[in-house]
Formats: sequence, C-alpha cells, structure tokens
Amino acid sequence: MIAAVAWAPALRLLRTPRTRMAVAGWFAIALAFGIAARWRGSAHGADHALLGALGPLVLPLLAYVLVGGVVGGHSLSHATAPLVAFGASPARSAAAAILVAAGACVVSGALVAAGVDVLAHGSTDPPLLRDALASAYAGALGGAGYSAWFALGSSFGRRGGGRPVLLVADWVLGASDGAAALVTPRGHLRNLLGGVPPLDLSQRASAVALALLATGWALVAWRRAR
Amino acid sequence: MISLEEVATRRAPLALANLSLAWGPGAHALVGGAADGGALVLAVVAGATRLRSGRVRVLDGAPTDAGIRPRIGFVPVQPVLPPAMSVTEVLTLAAAIRREPEQDAEDRLRQLGIEALARRAVATLSPEEARAVAMVEAVTSSRVRVLLIEEPFVALDPRAVTRLPDVVRARAAEGWAVVIATSSVRDAGEIADDHVLLKAGAVVGRAASLDALAGFAPQGVLLRILAEDPRGLAAALAREECVEAVARRGAAVVARGRDAVELARAAGRAIVVSGARVTEIRVQPPSLDEVRAAAAGVEAATYESALDRTRASLLLAERRP
Repeated sequence: MIAAVAWAPALRLLRTPRTRMAVAGWFAIALAFGIAARWRGSAHGADHALLGALGPLVLPLLAYVLVGGVVGGHSLSHATAPLVAFGASPARSAAAAILVAAGACVVSGALVAAGVDVLAHGSTDPPLLRDALASAYAGALGGAGYSAWFALGSSFGRRGGGRPVLLVADWVLGASDGAAALVTPRGHLRNLLGGVPPLDLSQRASAVALALLATGWALVAWRRAR
Repeated sequence: MISLEEVATRRAPLALANLSLAWGPGAHALVGGAADGGALVLAVVAGATRLRSGRVRVLDGAPTDAGIRPRIGFVPVQPVLPPAMSVTEVLTLAAAIRREPEQDAEDRLRQLGIEALARRAVATLSPEEARAVAMVEAVTSSRVRVLLIEEPFVALDPRAVTRLPDVVRARAAEGWAVVIATSSVRDAGEIADDHVLLKAGAVVGRAASLDALAGFAPQGVLLRILAEDPRGLAAALAREECVEAVARRGAAVVARGRDAVELARAAGRAIVVSGARVTEIRVQPPSLDEVRAAAAGVEAATYESALDRTRASLLLAERRP
C-alpha cells in the first residue's frame, strides 16, 4: 500500500519538467562553485565551496525545489488528495509523500556535496575519498533536515505557503551562531561542513540534533496532513 | 448501508444540524441547490469532512476506517487526479490502492465511451474529461459498494453523459448504494428511485417520484407533446375531463392535470381522436421550488389530516358516557 501511494509523488517529482530543470540548475550551480574554487587554486577549496555555496545556498534551495516538486507546489494534504479519493489513508499518503521527499533530498544532498568536494578539493584539504564521504554524509543529513523542514512548511496554507516562510526563517535564524540557529537546519549543517557551530555544539551533537529535529518536523508535518 | 444520526457539521458557508438519514442499496438522490448542503452530505458520508456531533456509518463501519474507505467511490464536481500520470496509470494506481484485481483500462473507460482517453496524460485532459475518468474509476471498481456523485451530469464529458444513467442504475441493481446530490430535478428523476429534498441543510421532504409529487404542487403535472398537428391535438385534449388547461407552444402542446397517469391516458385518447402524428411525449419535470412546495403541501396535508383525526377521537371520547 505504501508503495502504491508513494508511486504518485515519485512520478510527479520525476516527470515534472520544471522540477527537473530546477534540480539540474542547482546541481550545475553547485558544481560551478566547485570548479571555480579549483581554478582559484585555493588550498582549502572544498571548505570554501561547501561553506560558501553548498550549505547556505544550494542545498536549501535544492531541497526546496524537491519538496515543492513532490507536493506539486501545493500543500501536503492537497497533494495527497487524489490518492485519498481512491480510498488511500490520508496518514499513509502523507507519510509516503514525506518519505519520497526525504529520499530525494538525502540522495541529492549526498551527491551534490560529494561532487562539490571532489571538484573543489584543495591541497591542504583532508584525503579526497575521506573528505568526499564526510561531505556526502553531511549533505545527506542536511538534505534530510531540509526535506522535513520544508515538509513542515508544506503543511501550512492551502498552497503550502509555509514553505517559503520557513526558507526565509532558516536563512535569517540559521545565519547566527546563537540559540536561534539550534532550531534551523542551516546552523547544524554549517557545523557539519566545518563552519561555525551554533552555541559551540560538537559536530556529533549537531548531527544528532539535526536527525532528531528532522524526525520531529516530519512527524508534525505528517500529523497535520493526515 | 449508509446511516447518518443527528449529524452536525460545517464547511463555510454551509452547515448541517442534526441531520438523520438512512439509505440502503439502490439509487438515491439529495435534491437541493448549491447552498442547501447536498454536496456537504456526500462529503460527510465519504469521510472527507469532520463532524461536530453525531455519527455516520457506512457499510457497518466509520467511513474513515481503513477497510471501508476503499469501498467508497466519491466523485465531486471537480475531482483531482494524480498529475504526471497517464489515464491508464491512474486506473492502475487506483486499483492498487483499492486492492482490487487490475482490469483492462480501455475496457473500463469503454463503459462510459471514453476509451480514447486511455493513453492521454492527465495534465492534457480537460476538466470534463478528467471528471469522466474519475467517474469511470468509481463506477467500474470491483471494490466500491457506496457510490457518491455530486451533480452527475455537470462538467462531464458529453460521451459519458449519455451512458452514465444506465451504468449507475446497473450498479444500484447489483446492490450498491448510489447517492447523488443535484439541484436538477430532471437529473434526480433520471437516476434515482427515491429523493430527499434539502433546503438550507435541513430535510424538507422525501418522495419516491418527483413527478408524482408534482401533482401536489400548485401548478400540477405538465405533459408536453410534440406533434405535427398541434391545433387538433390541443382541441382534443381540451375536451378531456382530467385536463385542467391546454396551451400551444409552437409545435408542442402542453397539458396540465393533477395526476400524471390520468393525464397520460387522456393524451393517448386525444392523439387517437385527433389523428395527430406525435414525435415526442414527455412529462415536464417540475422545478426545484415546485417540488419543495409540493413536499411542504403534502406535509401540511398530512398534519391537517392527523389533527382532524385527533379532534375526531377527542370528540368521540367526550361523547362516551
């Protein structure tokens, strides 16, 4: 049943040309930042590209596009309405949409982070393979966090108007290294990528916090949409 | 199969208060305008609206139960189909969700004459075509037992309009409970066997046949006869005792009477006497207001009759030693 109800949001994500183009565009921009860092010959090219472009810009907007693609630019409950009309449980339909969005964001986040790391890798960065794997891990966790964050936003408003509100909130609140950054994906992702931690949290603590927050946001979104 | 007990709910700007209804297998109609709440009743039965109070039972369970939900087919005026899919994929997905054996999509679509849509993408369908696809999904499902249709002939592909009544009646004959909500008395008469009249969220009457109910309306029953010699036919009809009035409207003659059957017999006699060549005979469906007035008239008459009986029994009791 979950497989059947996951089919519709997955096809919507894969077959909507606008979503495909936007995703390809953000991948291209991220990789362009990586190439630019290499051309500059920076010794910490990977750090610069990941912290300067991927964390604050590309990953949030890539996740925004992917979650918007899964829900078709509407609210979460509106996106699951066609399945509910065929007798699917609203709870399962919402869970499937959230899981599809999370899967897409995790895979895309890992791929784009690893790609940027490989392209921008500088002479004093850690060994390439280890660094690429660490970046992929941070990108995947960041993708999961952002997918849940935007799924939560999609559960507000008839057309999912909470999504852009949370995008701005993440940008504003997550930019600081204070307590406000603790409740946004941006602060923890910056810490995982080697930037300034929120409230001096360790990377491990940020990873756990981001995983817990993502689970909580996803559960709230699911509860609101079911 | 369907019961509503003291149901109260609200979906702005409509509200239902203490509504109780029950339907078994067969074709049923909720007759009322857009502001009378027929669509809201369907949404309540489909489990798509939360109740403020009361209880809804569908197929011996709540409509939101996991086992009941796939057995309810609900076709609103503007159904939403999953985008980014072809029509065939939509039917396959619906079958998987309803947990029913997959049927050939073209065979299903053929039942309403829209098999040409099988390979079309949902995004390319007009609203009428999309509604016809949603209708096919519901009426051809092997799992659905309760079918709820809002305004069955509105915004529907013309190819499906002509076939829908027969298909819906066939499902009702198979034991489905079919409930339509419509503001058209003609549509209700074409599909349903019993009618609940709604006004502002309240039941104002029930009738097995709206045509028969029209006999109680101030205007009575109207019979429209299209003939080649309307003048002779009108003259013959005017001589019939049960015909209260006759009028000519172009090639048509409209006769008014109290009883539909008596009027039809009189029309038959008049046709034979006048020798008119008749193209069409049709009982003109009463308007929604006429039907409501008739229902109110029947209820008032019933009330008066009960009052008279009560008075008579009281008088009888007084006279007894």
